Amino acid sequence: MPATDRSDRRPIQEAENRLASFNRERNSIIAEVERRVLAGRLDAAGAGGDASIEYVLNDVAFQEIRRLERGPASEGEKKRLPEWRDLARRLGTMSDDERRRRLSEQVGRYARDIAGSFSMRVFRFATSLLPSLLSGILAPASLLQGVRHVGDLSGKVIVDGPTDHIRACADRGTLVVVPTHSSNMDSVVIGWSMHRAGLPPVTYGAGKNLFTNPLISYFMHNLGAYRVDRRLGNLLYKDVLKAYSTVLLERGFHSLFFPGGTRSRSGSVEKRVKLGLLGTALNAYADNLRRGEVQRRIYVIPATINYGIVLEAETLIDDFLAEEGKHRYIIEDDEFSRLGRVLDFTRRILSMEGALHIRYGAPLDLFGNKVDEAGDSHDARGRLVDPATYMIGPDGQVAADPQRDAEYTKSLGDEIVREFRRLTVFMPTHLVARAIFDRVAKATGTRDVYMMLRTYEGTEIPAADVCADLLRIRDTLAQRPGMGELPERFQRMRPSDMLDDALLMFRGYHTRPVVEKQGERLLVRDMRLVYYYQNRTAHIPPEVLS
Amino acid sequence: VSLAVLGAGAFGTALADVVATRGEAVHLWCETQEQVDEILATRTNERRLPGVKLHAKIVPTTSLADIARAARLLLLAVPSTRLPDALRPLGDVVDGSHMIVHASGALTADEGKRVSELVRLETPVRRVGVLAGPALARDLAERRPCAVVIASPFDDVVATTRSALLTEGTLRVYGSHDLVGTELSAVLCGSFTVALGLADALGVGTGPRAVLVCRAIAEGTRLCVAAGGNERTFSGLAGLGNLLVRAASASAERSDDYRLGSELAKGPAPRHTEGARAAAVAVKLARRLGVRTPILDAIAGVVFQNVPVKQAAKRLAEIGAEEE
Repeated sequence: MPATDRSDRRPIQEAENRLASFNRERNSIIAEVERRVLAGRLDAAGAGGDASIEYVLNDVAFQEIRRLERGPASEGEKKRLPEWRDLARRLGTMSDDERRRRLSEQVGRYARDIAGSFSMRVFRFATSLLPSLLSGILAPASLLQGVRHVGDLSGKVIVDGPTDHIRACADRGTLVVVPTHSSNMDSVVIGWSMHRAGLPPVTYGAGKNLFTNPLISYFMHNLGAYRVDRRLGNLLYKDVLKAYSTVLLERGFHSLFFPGGTRSRSGSVEKRVKLGLLGTALNAYADNLRRGEVQRRIYVIPATINYGIVLEAETLIDDFLAEEGKHRYIIEDDEFSRLGRVLDFTRRILSMEGALHIRYGAPLDLFGNKVDEAGDSHDARGRLVDPATYMIGPDGQVAADPQRDAEYTKSLGDEIVREFRRLTVFMPTHLVARAIFDRVAKATGTRDVYMMLRTYEGTEIPAADVCADLLRIRDTLAQRPGMGELPERFQRMRPSDMLDDALLMFRGYHTRPVVEKQGERLLVRDMRLVYYYQNRTAHIPPEVLS
Repeated sequence: VSLAVLGAGAFGTALADVVATRGEAVHLWCETQEQVDEILATRTNERRLPGVKLHAKIVPTTSLADIARAARLLLLAVPSTRLPDALRPLGDVVDGSHMIVHASGALTADEGKRVSELVRLETPVRRVGVLAGPALARDLAERRPCAVVIASPFDDVVATTRSALLTEGTLRVYGSHDLVGTELSAVLCGSFTVALGLADALGVGTGPRAVLVCRAIAEGTRLCVAAGGNERTFSGLAGLGNLLVRAASASAERSDDYRLGSELAKGPAPRHTEGARAAAVAVKLARRLGVRTPILDAIAGVVFQNVPVKQAAKRLAEIGAEEE
């Protein structure tokens, strides 16, 4: 990848840790969130109808009752069921003051539930412990030798991209890191990689289900993560969540969103992104502009997290292939919840050189323009652009316009998707799976995965054919940098060695080997996972590779 | 918001003239000083819009910087072949507060980019729209009732353009969010106009002509939808409306594309019009999107590969009705 710095080329200057002051501001952040959401809702209620407080509270009560009656919930939550039923029953006869009080209470409850905290002590502990723990998993003897072996990870896990450039922007504004999302390991991996690259810690919204494990919950809660309860679909909760994110960004706390919203079930790079939380960045920027703080800019940092094998690959692809109506938005019983599998996975991936690669992209402004090291925006032709001009309304003043801003965010989302593709780092597993998938598709006459799953049994492919395909795919990728890249190490490797690397990754961790070599032929053992891993290349049309 | 028109061709000049009747100054960017001098001296643009006395509120200039300072809504009516040359210097003088609405029916020859994509590439402007519809320059100049559609994903672009262009009795402006569909409709109707010019010159008759129009609507709709546009857009002003006016007997002699179609009936293409070039690019786009486009294939084949007209027509007729 041209014009980037390998973060393992020390020395790295540490960026300012703004989260260190988070706990001092926590209460005022919560108060500000409460104030804004209440003011917004009371203001909107004037229009009546769907915006009335009665309707908003009814939406909350209705969705809570439905969730607690039908879905999994804690005992504490279930105890609140009569309270919700009572609220729903009494809403029609409540006075306006009573409704306002209930609204205020609920907003406060949501805000306090969402808000995270940051402990410098836990941060220092985690950042010094984690690498040696990972080294220990990799080679237990190194644990005995203490943290001197932390550097051992640098060859196993690759972090690259213009990290000096990003750090310069972090000094000048607020970062919003937007990585691809394949695994629950991602937040640990990206947090570690940012620390490794000398980037500042970020706050981020983590699924509340991840807080059920007390150990993980302890770390996440004290490292700036805030809780997002994806079971709550009511509008009021979403308001509070967005207001929380907006206030954090306005105050300069670097943040991280997984813009795909949830882990990629199919294994493909995100084709579209969710705009809700991403839109809070523009809200924060607009609020700062209206306060006259024109230099408080926000920078978007796309990143890809690329695994040779994925911890939850089997659960995720099964969910993706599940019959209509059986998909699960929240999966709580996957490999991430089983310590043995996490250890197996970690040991496996860290035993293979470069099987985990985190690649950062150059900073963008909120309108998709490139940003230079001084934090200034430039259009596609390199001209200097003042991002504040995009917020100017027909009257020549900076003006709020939710529809316009939603379009800007959509357009930014499209740019992030393009960046995701360009920043994708292909592993041998992805390319070998793609070569095999294309060969099976040709043999069966269909690219319909359900048809292929029924007919692939016993498919054997000459290894030499796959090697020839690998060579061709590698040449094609070299000419199309917008579609992703093979790491340097694999660009020079003989195709047969690349195939061996992939086969090594494919066996040992998954329930059964994905593909095995028998003599000079390759035997497909698990077509689901061939499909899953080849999906990382799904943005490359078949005709481009043929 | 003040409006400026870029391009003193027939359409740009006529549009500026109509808008000037509202009583506010309308800046008109001209490519040459001669045009500016002529407009200032005689209030005419004889070469482009002969016989029309232009409104006193039109302010002609060759300075893009003056245009960008004077107006935030910029209406781009530059011939498609000169668009890239006009956009790059325009990009030097505009910023994120400007809105650019183009009135072009073209795709770039190399990558098939729409003009709105070109605007994004060549300028820092994000608020982009397209103006399309059956409004001919002569009709505007003679104040006949016309209608156009302004399409942009941005509400403020749609609202600002509507309020800037609306002139009672002459110009009715509809709004749409379907930028992709409207741009493609405007592009494709030029290509279909070539087909209708050819069909008329061959004397196919009113029945087969009507079938050709209907097949063009179906084909245009298929391609627009595959590219991300709305299913109804091609049947509106930008597609069908444009096609009907360009290929109508009363106005056909003024359409380059229609005239090319007539000439093709007599022999190989003597020149390439916007609609013909669009057909060649649209065919590539259709392949990429997996859409069948027999009429566009036929036009591109006749114009660029010297496929005999009879052979192209035969191929078009042989396609099974059930496949459409």
